[in-house]
Amino acid sequence: MRIGILTEGGYPYVSGDASPWCDRLVRGLAQHEFDVYALSRSERHEDEGWLPLPSQVRRVRTAPLWAAEDDGVAYGRRARRRFAECYGELAAVLCAGVAPEGGRLSEGSDESSARAGASSATAVDEPSATLADRFASALYGLAELAREEGGLVGALRSETAVRALERACRAPGALRTAHEARVPDLLTVAAHLEHALRPLSLDWYEDDGLGSVDLCHAASGGAAALPGLLARHFTGVPLLVTEYGVRLRTHYLAATDSSPAVRSLLAAFHGRLAAEIYRQAAYITPGNAHARRWQERCGADRTKLRTVYPGMDAGPFAEVGESPERAAPDTLVWVGRVEPAKDLISLLHAFAEIHKDEPGTRLRIVGAPAGPEGTAYLTHCKALAAQLFPDEADGPHAVGDNPVSFEEIGGPETPTLADAYASGAVIVLSSVVEGFPISLAEAMFCGRATVSTDVGAVVEVIGGTGLVVPPRNPRALAEACMALLRDPERRERLGAAARARALELFTVEQNVAAFHGIYLEIVSHCPVRRAVLDDTGDPLPFAVPAEAHVPGRWTAAASRMVARGGPGWAAGPPVPATRVPAAEAAR
Amino acid sequence: MTDVHQRDLPGAPSSPGAWDGVTTEPPADSAPQRTPRRGPADPVKALMHRHRDLCERAVDPLEIAAGLEAHGITDRTAARFRHKDVFSLAEEMYARIPHDNDTPHTPTPPTTSRPHTTWLLRTLLPGTTCAATVAALHLTHGRPRLLAATAGTLAVTLSLRAALTRGPLSAQRSGPPGTLIWTCWLLAYAALGDGLLMAAASGGPEALPTTAPNAPWPLTTAPLLTLTISCAPAAWLAHHFATRARNKLTTSRALEDFATSVRPLLLGTVGLFLATVAALLPLTAVLVDEPAPYPQTLTLTAHLFLARLLAIHGFTHAPAVILTATATAQATALVTLFAARLPHCAFLATPVETLIDTWGPGTIPTLTCGTAALALLIHATRKLPRASAHARTATRW
Repeated sequence: MRIGILTEGGYPYVSGDASPWCDRLVRGLAQHEFDVYALSRSERHEDEGWLPLPSQVRRVRTAPLWAAEDDGVAYGRRARRRFAECYGELAAVLCAGVAPEGGRLSEGSDESSARAGASSATAVDEPSATLADRFASALYGLAELAREEGGLVGALRSETAVRALERACRAPGALRTAHEARVPDLLTVAAHLEHALRPLSLDWYEDDGLGSVDLCHAASGGAAALPGLLARHFTGVPLLVTEYGVRLRTHYLAATDSSPAVRSLLAAFHGRLAAEIYRQAAYITPGNAHARRWQERCGADRTKLRTVYPGMDAGPFAEVGESPERAAPDTLVWVGRVEPAKDLISLLHAFAEIHKDEPGTRLRIVGAPAGPEGTAYLTHCKALAAQLFPDEADGPHAVGDNPVSFEEIGGPETPTLADAYASGAVIVLSSVVEGFPISLAEAMFCGRATVSTDVGAVVEVIGGTGLVVPPRNPRALAEACMALLRDPERRERLGAAARARALELFTVEQNVAAFHGIYLEIVSHCPVRRAVLDDTGDPLPFAVPAEAHVPGRWTAAASRMVARGGPGWAAGPPVPATRVPAAEAAR
Repeated sequence: MTDVHQRDLPGAPSSPGAWDGVTTEPPADSAPQRTPRRGPADPVKALMHRHRDLCERAVDPLEIAAGLEAHGITDRTAARFRHKDVFSLAEEMYARIPHDNDTPHTPTPPTTSRPHTTWLLRTLLPGTTCAATVAALHLTHGRPRLLAATAGTLAVTLSLRAALTRGPLSAQRSGPPGTLIWTCWLLAYAALGDGLLMAAASGGPEALPTTAPNAPWPLTTAPLLTLTISCAPAAWLAHHFATRARNKLTTSRALEDFATSVRPLLLGTVGLFLATVAALLPLTAVLVDEPAPYPQTLTLTAHLFLARLLAIHGFTHAPAVILTATATAQATALVTLFAARLPHCAFLATPVETLIDTWGPGTIPTLTCGTAALALLIHATRKLPRASAHARTATRW
């Protein structure tokens, strides 16, 4: 089948966010064809070029999100009125309130205590659903306008848009914060909406573009999923959304310096957009339980959620994982990027306690600092280590060194990442904030026992195969580490279990296999309804053989495949078809 | 809101953690830690105090939830506050933020950027080169004069380009093609047009234009010199207009307020510019020893200034159309005079000749440019008070 991969600031650009993951996915599913539709985030990003693409990538189409040129189309009276209606509707929905909370209602059933809130929640639910519908129809209205008339960029920047926003903000019943919006706030919101709605002006939604794929796979939420949403609206292509980090949450963390009016309106927009994406997606694959909770909170239906853990290449760690004897029995290792969120201070204090009880132990901190803040933090940690631990020597005539060493990957002692893990009897993770702990998963691949703090997705990743302590608790960390240091058998047992768990859950193969299964499931459950037309443009009965409904490769069909418009396909007359390019038809 | 969440009490955390037992016990016993430190009666209040920045600026509960998670608070931490997850904790915190005594977000007016020396110097450049060229034309004769005229034209063009591509006179996007040619036509007409018109009306022209005032085809340099010198005040006024408008943008609450405050500013800017030109013109006329053609110069400079002002704020379409119309009208006037020399076509010259006879040759540029300037002024009073016209300079995304 043919899969449209939608990315924003990612694959196929070298410096993209999720590029390695997409690359492994595309390479792992060589039996399918891939069309890559990429939105680039900055000029520098574009200049850095693409990854080498495998042959199954049939086509790459890119569009810049950072520069939208006004195409100079001036709307006529009717188009202007249509734009004003759609935009006014959008603005009215944004001013009416914040993100919907579909997930909360379904959760309420298993919460006896939430019953008190249920009645009020049901009362809120009805207008909330209407608002979601209004948002969707306004969004699709703008998209249709952009498709038929063009010139949406100019219109979104125009006075009509600002006026519509003002009217919505001043309307009775608008949000309190929106009501206080001033002219600069309105302009900021209009500019941001214009930026966010740039994918609407793309020419990707024709029958030779996203209309020709069997399935859209958005590599992240937000702007990347928006083309998929429109493709689904225009041509009925099912949408799969993968989110390793929830875009809405990123947005909340990023936008902090604007005025309350701007932030509340934009939060409403991103919340509504996320809800609409989740509503229209055939499946949503969060990368961990944390993302999953956010998605449920934003209105994603639980039945559509399939957690697919990120895949990691187990190859480099295989040798280390199968040779547990390489570990130095009294060495603790910490691996990661050095930054304040990793709380190395806590680790050093914990190690001070360990070192007091077990004088021979060593701590190796392996990692490079992240940014200027990280560099300052690393300097601070080194100073603390020098204060806490005097240099030690084997005898009166030997040169001593510190029991805590700071190293970087590629140094003489740790040429590779696997070597860093290999040298440790226990791998420690001391973060206070963590998303998906990659270093923990790598330690698991290496078959090492781990002690980690209970943050982010740590508990989910480690399962029962390592020790977990509360964050910011050096004493608990020290006790857990000592328990493992004194018990080699337990260490070995935990290490083996961790390796088995990692190989089961976090390999590239499981990731690719999971997506393969989801692709097949989507195509079998919600195939694109395409009508095949004959030369005169009339529908051709029985043109699609029954075999075509079997999942597999059927894009090579020589017939002219033309998509019809969405769910109303059975009711209306055949939609006029555009001609499929000769090259495509010949294939 | 608060009591609803306190009834949330039995909600145990979804995964086994160190605080499993805590939630089912009364809060007084809820500290089985080794060192029972300060035990506030209201732990959520303490948490809100710790994250008061986050709470004060939050616009919805999800923002608080995102902020709390970024500070390392997980569902298991939330269980300590007797909440099922971070979301419900954030909801309680959001509900407990006092909203009544909120101080409205007061916008800080942007720092007014002082006129920059480099662009001030750059806008003086056209006037200087034009003055030098005019001086050279007056001082030289014959072949060197032709060279001086060519070199001068080139220098003035380049300096105009330098003044218009950067600084406050620079347009955000280039106008439609042809704008440049038609502008050149207007300038050329200001220098040569009146003389040519007179010469054509009297059967000429028979020689190349000269600077001598009584020549059959005299070269009028005063309007051009005034126009190039007025680049500097134009740049300053455009800068002033943009800055003041931006300040008004920051302080105004409604779009209509903004429009009403910008309209007088616009009219004042245009008026001030015309006054400057009117003051400059007699000086330049004395310098080049020519009569001061007030109507032509004022209308031409007003036309070009308004067109530029519109282009600076992103409106290039209407100025281009009006410019083309003006230049076409002027060209038509000239062409009719020459076409009248064809047999049976003498009637073509009648309207133009009547105008010349009644009010003099300056009527044609005055009428065309005056109409254009008026049209542009009306257009500008409609377009420039729009907030969106000032958005692109105010916000960068």
